[in-house]
Amino acid sequence: MTTAALAAPVPAALPTSLVRALAEIVGKEHVLTDPNRLVVYESDGLTAYRAAPRAVVLPGSGEEVAAVVRLLHGEGIPVVPRGAGTGLSGGALPTPDGVVVGTARMNRILEVDVENRLARVQPGVINARLTEATRPHGLYYAPDPSSQSTCTLGGNVAENSGGPHCLKYGVTTRYVTGLTVVLAGGRMVRLGGAARGGEVPLDLVGLFVGSEGCFGIATEIEVRLLPVAEGVRTLLGIFETMEQAGHAVTAIMAAGLVPAAVEIVDQATILAVEASVYAGGYPTDAGAALVVEFDGTEAGLDAEADEAEACCRAAGAREVRRASDPTTRAALWNGRKKAFGAMGRIAPDLLVQDATVPRTRLPEVLAKITEIGERYRLNVANVFHAGDGNLHPNILFDRNDPDELERVERASKEIMTLCVEVGGTITGEHGVGVDKRGYMRLVNGPEEIATMAAVKRVFDPHGLFNPGKVLPDPDEDPA
Amino acid sequence: MTPPTSLADILPHEALATGGSRLGSTTGVLAPEAIVRPESTEEVAATLGWAAAAGVAVLPFFSGRRLGRRAFEGRLIFLVTDRLRGIEIYEPADLTLTARAGTPLAAVSSALAANRQWLPFDPPFVDDRSLGGLVATGESGPTAAAFGELRNHVLGATLVTGEGRVLRLGGRVVKNVAGFDLLKPVVGSRGRLGVITSVCLRAFPVPTEDRVLVLRADRVADLAAAASAIRTASLLPVSSVLISPADVLGAGAALLVRLQGARPAVDADQRTLEAHAGVTFDRASDMAATLRTARDHAASGPATLGVSVLPSRLAQALEAVADLLGDVPVAADTYLGKVRVAVRDAEPAAAHKLCERVQALGGALSVRVGDRADAATAELSAAASPPSPDEAALVAGLDRVFDPKGVLRPCRR
Repeated sequence: MTTAALAAPVPAALPTSLVRALAEIVGKEHVLTDPNRLVVYESDGLTAYRAAPRAVVLPGSGEEVAAVVRLLHGEGIPVVPRGAGTGLSGGALPTPDGVVVGTARMNRILEVDVENRLARVQPGVINARLTEATRPHGLYYAPDPSSQSTCTLGGNVAENSGGPHCLKYGVTTRYVTGLTVVLAGGRMVRLGGAARGGEVPLDLVGLFVGSEGCFGIATEIEVRLLPVAEGVRTLLGIFETMEQAGHAVTAIMAAGLVPAAVEIVDQATILAVEASVYAGGYPTDAGAALVVEFDGTEAGLDAEADEAEACCRAAGAREVRRASDPTTRAALWNGRKKAFGAMGRIAPDLLVQDATVPRTRLPEVLAKITEIGERYRLNVANVFHAGDGNLHPNILFDRNDPDELERVERASKEIMTLCVEVGGTITGEHGVGVDKRGYMRLVNGPEEIATMAAVKRVFDPHGLFNPGKVLPDPDEDPA
Repeated sequence: MTPPTSLADILPHEALATGGSRLGSTTGVLAPEAIVRPESTEEVAATLGWAAAAGVAVLPFFSGRRLGRRAFEGRLIFLVTDRLRGIEIYEPADLTLTARAGTPLAAVSSALAANRQWLPFDPPFVDDRSLGGLVATGESGPTAAAFGELRNHVLGATLVTGEGRVLRLGGRVVKNVAGFDLLKPVVGSRGRLGVITSVCLRAFPVPTEDRVLVLRADRVADLAAAASAIRTASLLPVSSVLISPADVLGAGAALLVRLQGARPAVDADQRTLEAHAGVTFDRASDMAATLRTARDHAASGPATLGVSVLPSRLAQALEAVADLLGDVPVAADTYLGKVRVAVRDAEPAAAHKLCERVQALGGALSVRVGDRADAATAELSAAASPPSPDEAALVAGLDRVFDPKGVLRPCRR
């Protein structure tokens, strides 16, 4: 995060003739130019960055997206794609000269193919809605970002979103089998498709997923669904120290168990959640809480849960709670799932960090993050996907305090550098967006960055999709 | 343009194999002017840099046994990865392993097995392959039904582009979105984007119970209903493969369903499948041999056709194969809707008709011509479904980024 980026430039209004042409494509009510209505689009989930767009256009179909992009690109105007705006890296931050194209109206589930376990959806479909719609058929959509009740599948494709259950089931890219995308100049292209299997020369679908709106806009998404597991067992381990919880995770994974999710929250997070309306009954004097979940055939679950509980107790858990019914299970999850919401009420601003390290390096990295937080006099609360080493150190701060803001920035950079030094990376699931462009050179050399830029030009030769995101400025000093 | 140096100037003596090696017989009609066996990423980069400057094409491979017949006109060298050998980083508790591309998969598997871990990929002849070869072909095999395709488990790779630039893509953590995902198009690129010199893969714990269930019948068609019922049961087996003929299993055809997990769960899953499909399975007596059969069936021979359709269209695809090609060996992945067909003496006309029928079902046909195929069989290649013009244009764009001089064009097929 850079302080300079926080100032919101004032954009130039779009010419009236262009507004009229856009309205002809999508309907007058779906072209927003009134500054009061544009405020909502000034940032995404990373509210530290704000910039007003010149306009927001909300197409109702893939064809409308293509026509809008054709028109804007024809005028040399950049397009910033936007789903629900829940992203945490500023990926949907408007660029000063750009127009935001939002997919909110394209929210239809086009087809649920029960027999082939596939769904075809528009990009504005909310993640959780797809699972709601397919559950009656015994199917569900596996990737479950914490924002799943509001985030859209188009946004998930752009960010290659993860979620707690990605430990066992993998992230978004594993489930996307085909895409219809609108590329530069409004060209509509179909990529892949489950029926064609892998019989394509290069995996273009896999390349497009996670491109953060820099290659184009997905207007139709084909995803794989999974059968709903017969049973679930959830454990909540309460530990005196974070170190004990870390050892329990190592023991569970070493035992050859394959949990669906392994999540840890630290004491700062427990305190925040328990003080909020989301209180789940976690003991506030605990050093860490560990949520472990198994799913699958009912007959094997108790044995797996028993083994995981033994691992927790051997690591020093003072208490292990269990749930197999949905209500109790939701209560055990509350402390984890509501962590970000709860933190929102104890500080004006929250920087949700995101990095991944090899799992075995977690204990030392967590200890060093604590040390960094103390050194910069910052309140850092850790929530993380312990099973796959994906950390979310959350820094609580007040952006109106310039000194604190600077300390946040310096601490963030130290945390990122630390994660890279132990063999990790700067983002596991939130993406680079604008927030981590400055860290890209920590994990990518000049050749890799030049190649990424060249690959972007294959999709977007004139740099008119989401400029200023992901790739660092060519003349920027290495972070 | 004359090359700035000769290969002998930039590579150590050991990296330059002499002609007439064992590789000659495995690559059809190709005549390389040199065979290079680099020992490091730097030597691979030097070789490709030299080739780009000298206008020489490069065909990379490990054993060459799976390259198939291919023709090439112009100056050509072979780049053999067999000296890029060895496991670099293996931290069992992280469930990740990094090894050089020419490390035989068998060596990787035995290192993992010592820690009760495995790689859940079972493409044909998997024991024969190198790690880099596996990633370059991107083939996962039927276990992809439960574990997801190989592409999802390649965490990182070192790639030397057609110009000799070294790219370190991805990393060694299981979640990583630090920039565009250049790894995805590299997996399965068959060498056209560059030479892979090192790979980091995700490993998995070996399950306590691993069981293969067998259902026998006279003909494939007799098993279609059971295969379809199993596919729509409320659980996801590790794999489900239909093979014909199934001589080794003493039947005309067989359905092989693999289950893994804790023993009580596997027992329950077996009962669920049997109830759902109204069948009674046998247990495979020799599991390793049965798995090998399922994996390699219909994969060798002069040519192999790959049919891909939605699983619900599988029976129709198998019918089309029988109508047009007769009683040929087939192996069908009933979850992913992929059929492998071994053909011998097939008329190109029949293959073209099969392609039409498969495409009418919404699917695609691929063709692999074995290295010992005659010229007539090689003509079958023309029957493969082409990519769409839009996809082809994007692929050509990526070729220009990774290999602007066309050094790796022998890999573009």
